[in-house]
Amino acid sequence: MGRKKKKMSKPWCWYCNREFEDEKILIQHQKAKHFKCHICHKKLYTGPGLSIHCMQVHKETIDKVPNSLPLRSNIEIEIYGMEGIPATDLKEHERQRQGGNDSGSDDEPAPKKAKPEGLLGNAPGGPQHPGMMPPGMMPPPGMPPGMSMGPMMHMPPFMHPGMQMMPPHMMMQGQPGPAKPLFPSAVPTSSPGGAVVGADFKPISQGATISAPPTTNQPAGSSTPGSDKVPLIASTGASSKIIHPVEDISLEEIRARRLKYTKVTPQKPEEPIPTSSSAATNLAIAVSAAQQAAAHQAKQIDAMNHHAAMMQRFGQPVRVSGPPIGMIHGGPIMSPMRPHMIPGPPTLIGGHLVRPPPLSMPPGT
Amino acid sequence: MFNQSSFGNSIIGQNSTTPSAANPMKDFEVTQPPDDSISSLAFSPSTLQQNFLVAGSWDNSVRCWEIEQSGKSVPKSMQSCGAPILDVCWIDDGSKVFIASCDKTVKVWDLASNQTMQVAQHEAPVKTCHWIKSPNYTCLMTGSWDKTLKFWDTRSPNPIMSINLPERCYCADVDYPMAVVGTGNRHLIIYQLEGKPQEFKRVESPLKYQHRCVAIFKDKKKTPTGYALGSVEGRVAIQYVNPQNPKDNFTFKCHRSNGTPNGFQDIYAVNDIAFHPVHGTLATVGSDGSFSFWDKDARTKLKPSELMQQPVVRCAFNHNGQIFAYAVSYDWSKGHEFYNPSLKNYIFLRPCYDELKPRSST
Repeated sequence: MGRKKKKMSKPWCWYCNREFEDEKILIQHQKAKHFKCHICHKKLYTGPGLSIHCMQVHKETIDKVPNSLPLRSNIEIEIYGMEGIPATDLKEHERQRQGGNDSGSDDEPAPKKAKPEGLLGNAPGGPQHPGMMPPGMMPPPGMPPGMSMGPMMHMPPFMHPGMQMMPPHMMMQGQPGPAKPLFPSAVPTSSPGGAVVGADFKPISQGATISAPPTTNQPAGSSTPGSDKVPLIASTGASSKIIHPVEDISLEEIRARRLKYTKVTPQKPEEPIPTSSSAATNLAIAVSAAQQAAAHQAKQIDAMNHHAAMMQRFGQPVRVSGPPIGMIHGGPIMSPMRPHMIPGPPTLIGGHLVRPPPLSMPPGT
Repeated sequence: MFNQSSFGNSIIGQNSTTPSAANPMKDFEVTQPPDDSISSLAFSPSTLQQNFLVAGSWDNSVRCWEIEQSGKSVPKSMQSCGAPILDVCWIDDGSKVFIASCDKTVKVWDLASNQTMQVAQHEAPVKTCHWIKSPNYTCLMTGSWDKTLKFWDTRSPNPIMSINLPERCYCADVDYPMAVVGTGNRHLIIYQLEGKPQEFKRVESPLKYQHRCVAIFKDKKKTPTGYALGSVEGRVAIQYVNPQNPKDNFTFKCHRSNGTPNGFQDIYAVNDIAFHPVHGTLATVGSDGSFSFWDKDARTKLKPSELMQQPVVRCAFNHNGQIFAYAVSYDWSKGHEFYNPSLKNYIFLRPCYDELKPRSST
């Protein structure tokens, strides 16, 4: 926590509580964000300056400093960088720096160009996790003092614009659960899991599993509380929408329910061993055609029966023995790819499981 | 590559070097792509000299191409199963491919003999399959919607081991000695595979929405140290198994529309995550139809892509990190009404080694 002390003295903007590395940058920020005339975009130097400019040049009154926090919008106060900040606010800010955990949202600087979308901020109904606070919420009760969110909230200066949407509060999460202190400051070097296992992932103590509390209280394999009603994807708020069916199950599960995909082709039902793919060309074409025309189900079954019949004629290929050489040409629906197929050289046919594949042969053998 | 017609909506006035609106990144197109959406992609392991790409599809088939240095893809073989394919993976010596399917089985495809054989059985469709090679055992790990994770030696019809999951398996990754499984209801479980597979830790999800994809990353010593988890809410969490500092774990947003003037935003699922085998940087692909390259250590985006006409469903790097493959097809994110079977599915190949180099540190 030594790092924090250093940051305590950082200049910050009275209007929006953002912290800066340097007072020069703070001043640039204030000119651009708070003292810019919305009509002619001229950058003024102070709130009163802006007010006077608008009055004189554009004949408009400005009663609030643009982009300011609700209680910090007073345009009368003359603030330039860190100069002119009311003493009480200075003290309050210091106090929060030092880790009053009532700071919560207040000193959470907004990421510079964060879009005003409400993904996290506007999802009051959404599930919350300790350590994943939307802006504006208090830290979880378990958070020890001295861990005010503020200091770790800064966008790293090297942050690329592409990452700008990373909300600062996301920087802390992943703690196993509320039963452990979120930040075991008593054990300075360890993270929650770290004491139990080496970084090399080796020693596994039973304690590691058992002591990770929150997710284990659900017996494995048991049906979840909501399993009889279909869980839905929580909405993200008015300003954004998750492009996903409303059911909170995977896209693949939804898709797999479709009739088109549930028609499991009866390849060789009661057969524990090989689903052989070898077949004659005309058969391949037949099956291929049948599969493409999913509507022609009868035809397909026909083809499959035919296929099965063929398979029986060929006998059951056994696991370690290869098929007759003449059968190497592709599977049942190989027709479109067939011209390109490289039949394995005879020496490789019927080899055992670990032989190299003919694929490693140069084309044209 | 040159006989592809785009579907009517390509702009006539485009100059001839732009192949079509379907390929905005002008990457190499894999020939004879699957007839239905692509569900899985996997490059052959480093044990093979050449690069082979395998893709499983909802058209019930698995295809294999050889990818030449020139970017040309040569169809090599194809295998059909009775039901849609959900995942594929290679065995470590590159001689076989495992095929996880909606028919509740996993089959092994012996590429030499072009035979398939069932090696795993579940009570529901099998969503993931991964080959585990450890010094003292090898096996296939399968995760299913029947809420189990099973381990198979591929010779016995019974699993060596079966582990119950709290929910249906949605995504998994294996990098010995670590495995991660993400399930429905946002469960996340880490397994350690040394000796025998066993649960290592259950982690409270860092994400608030459905888990969709997970990929393990390594530290500088090339040992697995954490994972990236993607959700349907356009967000990826970078998590260390044992973070030195709570700040090491973070999440970032991705695959979202740029807000319209009134700030409204569409948020898309992160469909797949892959780590570059050399640089340790990562790629994400999303339902929005784009891929992005990221540097998790510098926390920067290295490159965004243009938007494709359909979602990007899966991605993969080849073993030496020269080729980035990504599959463009419908992922059902807008329901079946938006499924247009006549739209072509694409797999593109992109030379990516330089684009994924981490930012030089400042």
